[in-house]
Amino acid sequence: MIRFLKLAYLNFTFYLFFILFSSAAVTSCGVGIVLSALVLSRRRVLRLLRRVICWYGTVIIRILPFPLVRIRYTNYASGEDQGPFIFVCNHRSSSDPFLMAGPCRPYECIQVVNVWPFRLPVLGLVAKIAGYLSVREMPFEDFLKTTSKLLAEGVSVIVFPEGTRSRDNSVGQFHSAIFRVALQTQRPIVPLCITGNERIPPVGSGILEPGIIKINRLKAVPWETYRTFTPFKLKNFVRGMIIQEVAAMEKAL
Amino acid sequence: MVEQDIIRMVNEVFNESFEIPEDKLVPGANIFNDLGLDSLDIVDLVVALQKKFAVTIRDDERVRTIRTLGDIHNFIQLIKKENKK
Repeated sequence: MIRFLKLAYLNFTFYLFFILFSSAAVTSCGVGIVLSALVLSRRRVLRLLRRVICWYGTVIIRILPFPLVRIRYTNYASGEDQGPFIFVCNHRSSSDPFLMAGPCRPYECIQVVNVWPFRLPVLGLVAKIAGYLSVREMPFEDFLKTTSKLLAEGVSVIVFPEGTRSRDNSVGQFHSAIFRVALQTQRPIVPLCITGNERIPPVGSGILEPGIIKINRLKAVPWETYRTFTPFKLKNFVRGMIIQEVAAMEKAL
Repeated sequence: MVEQDIIRMVNEVFNESFEIPEDKLVPGANIFNDLGLDSLDIVDLVVALQKKFAVTIRDDERVRTIRTLGDIHNFIQLIKKENKK
């Protein structure tokens, strides 16, 4: 009974405030961005928009479901500052993209996403304007060109190379596209390991369950470490790091 | 070229190009789910197979139907036979 009440409270308050906050944020930020576009350069407007998206994500995942959903973030790369980075994450839940504000701060970031986030009303459009990339809808050559340009401009790239959410909490096979970009651009790769949100919400459902989400940011893998790797070896090297860390995180729960 | 040679050479390609250990290279292994290749890795695989077997398979539509290591063995054998004719 208590579990049901917690579930009902969490979902009622979350979705109510989600709609209210999103409506207010999209309207006010939309006006702000349009006005700033009149006086600022396109580059600065994009930087502003990406920062706003970061703050929006923070409110959605850290504040609205609190205290029934809590986030514990551990940074093993403290003091490391050589961005822009390529952030590589395991993917368990549709809440993953909202979690990125913490581990990726203070870097300006875009996310490489699947087709479906672009189909979300309003949020999909905002993501598109902010330069988020739908990897399945672009040829690899275009993806390489676009991500290389973004990294050269100082924009970090966040990727979920499994391509789809894990159904059994295992870390699926990785797609190599972003690792080919890394080999070309020589940018450091930061593995991000996420556990605890597989039911926030579960695959195929919109119902959030109470829980603790853990995010561990591992030390960056510098170009010097992977320069001799093939794309295949590099993707499995990073996948191995994530699998090992995720196993340790789950053991510690 | 006998079947055993083809199997050995295909396995060498997987070992040299992708560093996949010998024990994983069984004919039933799915090249995507079990061996971890993706569509871009397949391009690398095709290039490596072409070089190893001195054949042209890049534009062959049958490549798209390959799912397992066994499919690759059979496909290479077929290509070799066709080239002999």
